Amino acid sequence: MSSARRLAPWGALVAFAVLAALPAAPFMSRYYLLLAFDALIFGAIAMSLDLLMGYTGLVSFGHAAFYGLGAYSAAVLLERGVLSLWACLGFALLVVGAYAFVVAYFATSRRGIYFALLTLIFAEVVYTFFRYTQTFGGSDGIQGLPEAMLFPGMPIDTPLKKYYLVLAYLAFGYVVCRVVVASHFGRVLVAIRENEDRARFLGYSVQRYKMGVCMISALLTGLGGALYAMRSAYATPDLMVWTESGEFIISVMIGGLGTLAGPIVGGAFFTILRDKISSYVDWYFIVIGVVLIVIVLFMPRGLVGLRSVLRLRW
Amino acid sequence: MVTGDVILEVDEISRSFGALAALSKVSFRVHEGQVFSVIGPNGAGKSTLFNVVSGLHAPTAGHVRFRGDDVTGLAPEVISRRGIAKTFQITNVFPKISAFENVRVAAQSRAAVSGRLSSLWRSPDVERTVMGLLRAFGLEDQRDELAENLSHGEQRYLEICLALATNPTLLLLDEPTAGMTPGETKAATTLIQRIARERHLTLLLIEHDMSVVMGISDRIAVLHFGEKIAEGAPDEIRNDPAVIEAYLGGADD
Repeated sequence: MSSARRLAPWGALVAFAVLAALPAAPFMSRYYLLLAFDALIFGAIAMSLDLLMGYTGLVSFGHAAFYGLGAYSAAVLLERGVLSLWACLGFALLVVGAYAFVVAYFATSRRGIYFALLTLIFAEVVYTFFRYTQTFGGSDGIQGLPEAMLFPGMPIDTPLKKYYLVLAYLAFGYVVCRVVVASHFGRVLVAIRENEDRARFLGYSVQRYKMGVCMISALLTGLGGALYAMRSAYATPDLMVWTESGEFIISVMIGGLGTLAGPIVGGAFFTILRDKISSYVDWYFIVIGVVLIVIVLFMPRGLVGLRSVLRLRW
Repeated sequence: MVTGDVILEVDEISRSFGALAALSKVSFRVHEGQVFSVIGPNGAGKSTLFNVVSGLHAPTAGHVRFRGDDVTGLAPEVISRRGIAKTFQITNVFPKISAFENVRVAAQSRAAVSGRLSSLWRSPDVERTVMGLLRAFGLEDQRDELAENLSHGEQRYLEICLALATNPTLLLLDEPTAGMTPGETKAATTLIQRIARERHLTLLLIEHDMSVVMGISDRIAVLHFGEKIAEGAPDEIRNDPAVIEAYLGGADD
């Protein structure tokens, strides 16, 4: 256990080094760079959802709203000619933070299934609002966005630059999540997951901790949304459909609950699987469904759990 | 035994669940340093009384005062921070983390950073407190064992460790020896008594096992169908006709 923990930062560093070197691989065309972008952003969001699902025992069915709001925040600024990456990210944090505060307040005041339902209902309200508000383009969303600037005169205009941007975001998110999990705050989250009532009887204001972790998770997801708008040059209500939230949840499950690294792998795996299969058949969701059922049934600890299974066998 | 000021005052507490009156107008006072026991047959309202004192249920009527302050109906986490800790009749620990981590999270609830943003980067050092408690209950060799893998008796001790780690002044013990063999019960009772004395704790104990209570209590209150039918020193209780009637002629036990 302790040796595994000492190895963890090295494992993470090696993984990031490999990801950083990936664009140098000969097969990394423009298409694969953008696919890698999508895979990593999906993984990063699954990781931030893992803070809730794996560590606190809360299942959010409304993460698509944080994602979509982040995307729209960036899109609104880019559309109006505010091209600074930092302004877009800051604005996304503000908007998503304000919304997440309200959702977290009401959702964490209820337990179990009500938390899941409230996050879903709030997200559906946000989806409906953007879907039917013409100011934000209705069902078309906001399209044809200009490229964001890292600094004035330094546009993030190639797939390669976008790839490194999302890699930096993933690294940042990973550090944030690791710090949260290793902290006293994170230990209380685990205690809440294990036995919420007992945590209260020990003197912890459980709702404050739950709200705190919801905010952290939502803000990280919102940042991801903002980056996605920059990569795709649009923000549409489709980003906020509840199936999107479901895909985040599935990614966490297939990667491995409560592992952080697992959901990154899970999110990337899911994205690549969807992309590959959908290019062959129209009914790709059935294939994905079967693969996911197999993983959930036969690898209850997810894809990263596979590692220890293999080690035991050999 | 010489005892200090009143630390806990239960004043005419009533609690009903629908038409069922679980407690009616129960009053008693616990003095500092005392071992005060509440006994009674199953269904007498003992656990309800604990739930009211510890904040799980608000009483239908009446007041609970702790060190002179009215704490009636406060939330469990607030009452815990005031210095009342509770152990549970059915073991109620954090099953999938180690014994050490169980006690650590309990001990850290009293740290200054707890509940603040700084708890994200500052981790209070409570290792000595935690190991001290585990050692006192003979759990130091099980420190890295998941709580769910401990034996029943060890889990009962871990339960008490969690409560003690919050550094309470009043400890509510809900049948701490539930499910233990007579031998274990005796050892546990002696241990609890010793630790309470070392830490200058006041104990409020629920038991339905008379033999446990008689040995360690300074004062005993007897509940029967939600009402207090007797209160006094162990010898007085032993010979009280109403108590004998309740235990021997009781409808439900």
